[in-house]
Amino acid sequence: MRRGLMAWDSSEVPVSALAERLARLRCELAAEGVEGFVAYTNIARGGAVWWLTGFTPYWNEGLLYAPANNEMIFATALSKRVAEWISSVMPAGEVTTTPSPSALIGEHIARHGAKRIGILELDDFPAGHAQAILQAAPGVELVDVTQAFARARNTSDPVERLLLTKADALVQNACAAVNLAQAEARSFIAPAESVARLGGAEECFTLVACDLAASRAFVRTEYMGALGETFAARVSLAYKGAWTRHVRSFSKTEFLQQKFDKAHAALMNFTLHPGEALGVAVERAFGAFGRIVNWGAEQPRGSFPLAPVANFADTAQGFTAIAPFVLDAELEIDGRRWIGSRLIGL
Amino acid sequence: MSKDALAARKSALKAAMSRESVEVLVLFGNNWHADHLRYATDFGIQEGQGMALVREDGSITLILDDPAECERARGEGAGEAIYAPALVAEARKQLARAGNHNSCAAPYHLLPYGLLHGEKDLRVADGAKIIERLLMTKMEVEIAAIRKAAALADEGYAIFRNAARPGRKDYELVAEMESFFRAKGVPENFMIVGVGGPEVRGMAPPGGKILKVGDMVTTELTPCYDGYYAQICRTLVVGEPSDAQRQAFAVYLEAMEAGIASVKAGVTAAHVAKAENDVFRKYGLGEYVTSEYTRVRGHGMGLFPDQKPAILEDVNITLEAGMTLIVHPNTYHPDVGYLVLGDSLVVREGGHELLCGTPRELFSVPLQ
Repeated sequence: MRRGLMAWDSSEVPVSALAERLARLRCELAAEGVEGFVAYTNIARGGAVWWLTGFTPYWNEGLLYAPANNEMIFATALSKRVAEWISSVMPAGEVTTTPSPSALIGEHIARHGAKRIGILELDDFPAGHAQAILQAAPGVELVDVTQAFARARNTSDPVERLLLTKADALVQNACAAVNLAQAEARSFIAPAESVARLGGAEECFTLVACDLAASRAFVRTEYMGALGETFAARVSLAYKGAWTRHVRSFSKTEFLQQKFDKAHAALMNFTLHPGEALGVAVERAFGAFGRIVNWGAEQPRGSFPLAPVANFADTAQGFTAIAPFVLDAELEIDGRRWIGSRLIGL
Repeated sequence: MSKDALAARKSALKAAMSRESVEVLVLFGNNWHADHLRYATDFGIQEGQGMALVREDGSITLILDDPAECERARGEGAGEAIYAPALVAEARKQLARAGNHNSCAAPYHLLPYGLLHGEKDLRVADGAKIIERLLMTKMEVEIAAIRKAAALADEGYAIFRNAARPGRKDYELVAEMESFFRAKGVPENFMIVGVGGPEVRGMAPPGGKILKVGDMVTTELTPCYDGYYAQICRTLVVGEPSDAQRQAFAVYLEAMEAGIASVKAGVTAAHVAKAENDVFRKYGLGEYVTSEYTRVRGHGMGLFPDQKPAILEDVNITLEAGMTLIVHPNTYHPDVGYLVLGDSLVVREGGHELLCGTPRELFSVPLQ
């Protein structure tokens, strides 16, 4: 539920940048032989529509239809009055409100005479919307174009890098604002939320691993308790739709805190050399500080603003070294768990 | 965290499945629609998507496509949680293992396409009949949580009033609210705002508007406690309200009180909406209760902040004891702009139990 700053600033997100993204996507889609593209969005899956339009719904859901040539259409069940607001913060695409967004998109597809429509993440596409499109555009074939979208999306343009730079500064400030004088996790983390939102975060998730000796799980405020001897803060936030995370571990023991600080400094200085495997870079950066227990990397993937793309176990796929990524590392330092996470590659 | 509420919900779900001879119920969710998933698992999903497979014997498997969310689910005691990067494939595997006999799923229209249409189509029926009524009509243990959420909404609005002063940006007010709620153990809050005068036609997320003297500041706060949401809607004026603002507010107050007074088990949602709208019509403002200017005249709340029934004159859902609603005649007023006022309540036999305690005033922020 987005309730932070949502505004469009043409100096941050020029319309021309969005047009270039759409052109790149249309090139990839043409190679797939589809005559239009449909992406679904809601607050959990806003990544793709945001990349093309600069907009994420604060609530409810929507569908974006990009025909091969004409202007994009964003259809949502939000009210007509909200549509006026959406138009003010969504610089690309025509906004339409309707009780049945998918039926409306289907009607457009039928009007354009399209026979093959590319759907982002067809397997995860809401079945009710797929059915309504098929009913409104009988005979149309729905084709999964997730890979084509990924090819268009796999670089990070200067516009996205600018937003990520602002998001990164914000998330670091937020993490630095935690109140280490507090014994309870809720009071420890609450200032981070304040700093993030005062700085203009559109959304912010603040979690705490209250006792790293017991668990590496980061929990929400309703499950937080007293802070253990070692603990960690995890702040994930979006600035104008660009998502990042930062994790910082702390110890109540000064000696251990110094070691944690050194590991954190290594994270802040982390670089991936050209051609270097991520696992090798992790070993190079952290090997001297303790045993590497786990690591992972996240990048935007399809409609998901951040998703696992590489990990220690090699089960996540899709990492691209030419775009920024969030690195998450877990070390064992003097027998204690340390977790760190930050945006790399700006 | 109330284990009693979860145990009661699981028991109610099991009984409903048994009545309908359903062997497996698939509940899908994400950060927008987290209610179905939370009903069975108590897990408030934040990132990615998830599904819970609820079996007739009461056992539940939670499948999540985000590894950190899966760890959080385990850390928060949500029971058996499986991380599956391919959510649909894992759910199909689990359903196949269960024999795919008499399976239902909800919310049906949001189910992943691939769950129903894969290499071999699965027979999964719409599970609305199992869970929709359970989501709408609450047990006392659930109402206790909503009562606490309403108390937090009252406390939150006091923070909001103190945060509002000339020169502040709208999102700075939200920042104060959210920090307060996190410190109070509230993980989620649905909140939109409006700042200004007659040019303001509704509420939206903050856009950086700076509060100035004479502005009306509207908000609906919707914090959750143990997963249950309660809402409060109030309007304040930066400085002293004008006569026009006071006169307009009086209409909304009369409409809200008429709506609330009409609430009791056995009446329809339409009946409540009509009670509110008749007040506007009486003052020649009937045009402003149409969909051109307003969405709903209130709505249900529970594990979802905006659930059925919608309070509208064409919604004939009968109110039942145990439903929790907000009655809010929020709409545009041609003289002063968008104005809001609303209180949460529980439908009871013969009446209602009011949950909000904040005075029903057009608040004024003193200029310092």
